[in-house]
Amino acid sequence: MALLQIAEPGQSPLPHQVKRAVGIDLGTTNSLVATMRGGRATVLPDENGEVMLPSVVNYSSDSEPLVGADAVALGSQSPADTLMSIKRFMGRGSADAAQDAQRSHYRLAEGDEGMVRFITSGGEVSPVEVSADILRVLGQRAVATLGGDIDGAVITVPAYFDEAQRQATKDAATLAGLRVMRLMNEPTAAAVAYGLDSAEQGVIAVYDLGGGTFDISILRLQRGVFEVLATGGDTALGGDDLDGALANWVLQESGSPTLKAGQYRQLQAAARAAKERLSDELEVDIDLQGVLPAGGSLRVTREIFESLIQPLVKRTLRACRKCLRDAELDVDVDNIVMVGGSTRVPLVREAVGDFFKRTPLIDIDPDQVVAVGAAIQADILVGNRPEGDLLLLDVIPLSLGIETMGGLVEKIVPRNTTIPVSRAQEFTTFKDGQTALAVHILQGEREMVSDCRSLAHFELRGIPAMVAGAARIQVKFQVDADGLLNVSAREEITGAQASITVKPSFGLSDEEIAGMLQASFSHAAEDMQARQLAEERLGAWQLLEGLKSALKADGEALLSTEEHEAISGQMTELQALVEGQDADAIHAQTEKLGRLSEAFASRRMDKSIRAALAGVSLDSLDDEVTQ
Amino acid sequence: MSIPDFQRNYFELFDLPLTFTLDQAKLGERYRQLQRELHPDRYAGASAHEQRLAVQYSSLINEAYAALRKPLPRALYLLETAGMSGEAVAAQPMDGGFLMQQMELREKLEEMDDLVDPETALDHLITEIGEDVAVLQDQFSTAYAGGDMSTAASACVKMQYLDKLLREAEQLESRLID
Repeated sequence: MALLQIAEPGQSPLPHQVKRAVGIDLGTTNSLVATMRGGRATVLPDENGEVMLPSVVNYSSDSEPLVGADAVALGSQSPADTLMSIKRFMGRGSADAAQDAQRSHYRLAEGDEGMVRFITSGGEVSPVEVSADILRVLGQRAVATLGGDIDGAVITVPAYFDEAQRQATKDAATLAGLRVMRLMNEPTAAAVAYGLDSAEQGVIAVYDLGGGTFDISILRLQRGVFEVLATGGDTALGGDDLDGALANWVLQESGSPTLKAGQYRQLQAAARAAKERLSDELEVDIDLQGVLPAGGSLRVTREIFESLIQPLVKRTLRACRKCLRDAELDVDVDNIVMVGGSTRVPLVREAVGDFFKRTPLIDIDPDQVVAVGAAIQADILVGNRPEGDLLLLDVIPLSLGIETMGGLVEKIVPRNTTIPVSRAQEFTTFKDGQTALAVHILQGEREMVSDCRSLAHFELRGIPAMVAGAARIQVKFQVDADGLLNVSAREEITGAQASITVKPSFGLSDEEIAGMLQASFSHAAEDMQARQLAEERLGAWQLLEGLKSALKADGEALLSTEEHEAISGQMTELQALVEGQDADAIHAQTEKLGRLSEAFASRRMDKSIRAALAGVSLDSLDDEVTQ
Repeated sequence: MSIPDFQRNYFELFDLPLTFTLDQAKLGERYRQLQRELHPDRYAGASAHEQRLAVQYSSLINEAYAALRKPLPRALYLLETAGMSGEAVAAQPMDGGFLMQQMELREKLEEMDDLVDPETALDHLITEIGEDVAVLQDQFSTAYAGGDMSTAASACVKMQYLDKLLREAEQLESRLID
């Protein structure tokens, strides 16, 4: 086993060194961070040995934000300042979130562009900022454990997260100072965690009952390639709802007393504890002293609990049936992976086992399995496994389209389409002399614009005046491997163009993020310079390393002597700059070398494709793939 | 800059003969092989230019795979490579018998909600449509192989009709289950 080299913070890692990559499960109830150590993915504990960080943050006027168990302790004392289950608010507008906020006793501020903000004693915060505070603590934990800056992170999101929710998650990570290599769907991560351990072939169903969301995904694993066949779920159903069902029953049995803000929290916590104990015991007493005005205790049997949650479990199975149909499987599911603490509930396990006619897999802790899978993917993406023994082919969870005449949505990329994907569709003008076209981008399954989520608007101008129907306007959707969208429109006759990278209004603009980063760094300008230098050095090393192996493999075959010399010369210059302290110079030279080697990169790609098309075995090709 | 020849048709890309009936296992195998080489994840540490290329190529392969994987898009793609646009296919004359049969099937679907046991009836209807689709696929396959494009196009349009009906039936099924 290779020993980890310890580098001083701010220093660039040496080439060939194992890079520090982490997988982070940013959960509704708890969050975890995991990394590869000694060839295995493991979750990292805090100084008290706890691996789960409660996703709770307390904002008070007299101290820095408190994250985790310390914040939980303040929950009943200052409910409006103690924000929990914040993931439910990610990427949602104020109007959308008002009901949930009232239930949680949060105070909402009128945010800009409809973005939710909470009023706390420590000031106004958005869900993105709260999530960033949680991510920052996990990042610090990883830095302390691994002994140096993190080179890259994979953050997991529910498969059912829409564009706005994904973007908000990515914004939070950026705000926390993490370099996000990829947003990964939680069920896919769980499947990866099992897939690598067992080297299975076959069809896997991932049943993920998280704190606030339910996801079901069907994947096929064949020779190291994971193909997501379909994904579905319910964004408004989670383990919290099982607790809620029990809490409501307790209230009813106790004559429906009126509760204060903090008391409902305590009741929910008591219900959660009872749920957990009912997994092993047939009946438990819920202690209501200090929870309800009347105090006392209430006995609940597993049978009662099961009758309370039966409708919720049924709802998850309906989503499973729908997902199986979307996957168009002609075979049975071989394995079921269980994710989320609530899958420990015996009724859930039995119902899922009966439905799929297989015993669910529970070898990996259902609370940790997502972080473990994310750590494996992070390790691959950061370049620690040159052979890249695993590839993920994921899908988009919701259809993407544009508004057409009459408030209807024309779907351009249907849900469950494998990403990355690019789709184009032709549209035309509907009025004589029309010179501009408004493009309204939407996400969702319904037919009417009003029933779908609006993602962005932009205008294509400069269409020459023609009769209606004569213009040919191509609208192109490009979804990248993170599931994020870029849309462009082009008038074919004149070539007039317009494009937009979709940034939902509920997320933060790049300027806002830059401003916030600036603010958090303003006390530590030196830190920022050191970070910038480290980042530039890392980028330069990556390029140099990539080019070195590329030149070795294909330099003679694909480059003329002059080209080879030009690239080598610029590489030597970059090499010299990397040793120095001038981040800007490193940046400029990296860019220059990058541009110079573009043609070489294209030729190599071309060669890879030809080789793949010619059916050369993969093993012999793996050595040649860049990085 | 030399760009790989993605102008070739999708069948060539996957090294498959230009036929309607195809080897699904081989298609899947080739697809995964190409993605192994070209997926953006394989270029996560590469230059921005390489990453952009990877996204484009990987998207194209996904597009090609989606076009060939299922019978209906495959039939449409085959007609397109034979020079028939989507509009030309849609303009094929339909025989009255088929349209009558469509109307009957559609009526059955609409009356489904009023039945005592709609789920079983719906099951039967879905099976019935499936059988009709299989017959049309055979017709398409034979006509296309024999170079009879107008018969192939007419079978393809009928497949489109039935596909639409099947999707509506499945939507009704979801509603019934919920």
